[in-house]
Amino acid sequence: MTTLIAATAAIFFLAQDGRAPTRVGTEPLDAAREARVQTLGGKFRCAVCQGVSIRDSPASMARAQLDKVRELVAQGKGDLEVEDYFVDRYGEWALMEPRKSGAALWLWILPLLLLATGIVIIVRATRGAGGLEPVPPAPRPLTADLEKVRAELKE
Amino acid sequence: MNRSPLKRGLAIATAVLLSAFLVGILARSFGSDPHRVPFMLAGKPAPEFTLTSLRDGSPVRSADFKGKPLVLNFWATWCAPCLAEHPILSWAERTYGDRVAFVGIVFEDSEANARAFLLEHASRYVQLADSKSTVAVDYGVSGVPETYFVDKHGIIVSKRAGPFASVSEFTSEVSSILP
Repeated sequence: MTTLIAATAAIFFLAQDGRAPTRVGTEPLDAAREARVQTLGGKFRCAVCQGVSIRDSPASMARAQLDKVRELVAQGKGDLEVEDYFVDRYGEWALMEPRKSGAALWLWILPLLLLATGIVIIVRATRGAGGLEPVPPAPRPLTADLEKVRAELKE
Repeated sequence: MNRSPLKRGLAIATAVLLSAFLVGILARSFGSDPHRVPFMLAGKPAPEFTLTSLRDGSPVRSADFKGKPLVLNFWATWCAPCLAEHPILSWAERTYGDRVAFVGIVFEDSEANARAFLLEHASRYVQLADSKSTVAVDYGVSGVPETYFVDKHGIIVSKRAGPFASVSEFTSEVSSILP
């Protein structure tokens, strides 16, 4: 029954051009602040797109999100405050690049820590083994035949 | 090698622990849908709004519903699942309307399309136009339909992303905000 209603309604609205209307964004701010808006717009993910920033997406929702950035910048909000606005609503998913803080910070630090630990282990191991200098072989004791040859040579 | 087994064991244990920690952090993200938008407003005050009514163009404020639980549904006529769930929301409004306020907010759609659909389906509850999607962005909407459940204190309790497929689905969700 529900499907039938939905299908009927869909046909009804397709027949009368039921597409989402194209919406015009708000007017740009002055050059300096608009440049900030565009830079910030490149940092936030469009809520209805796949991995596209709100600056680069043609979606109407992206335009609405960019309008919100413009509104916040016009109110004199700092970059971090604008970022917090989106993170408060969409989580860190809203950011095109994860923040270098919290659990995400460990993803930056741990590989470096592991590399440093590896270097320390290698350096210590090589030092403990006496470095990389080649070790001369220990002199072998002479056999009876060799003793005899050596004595003959001395004569 | 002259190194003591204790020092050697300590170095290996440190490397193993760091690796395990790194793998643990990476594993946290595996298996989760990267396209799923997290719901961050649970337990937070519902953003306030002032929008115009589709019925008569009069301003409607979120403050008008203060003291009463609120069901806020973002929808559009171009969204088939929104149309499919409309009968369930209409039923819910008739059933819970005396205890809960029902508000529909039209998302990325023309007012004429929305008005025609509502007229056709004799929809009774308040319907608002969000022509610049400012309220949708304030609520963190990432698609339609989305339905927010706000308690009588104005706190968002839960969100339904996607349509209600049955009356029982709505009933279990609305119970969290009933007085």
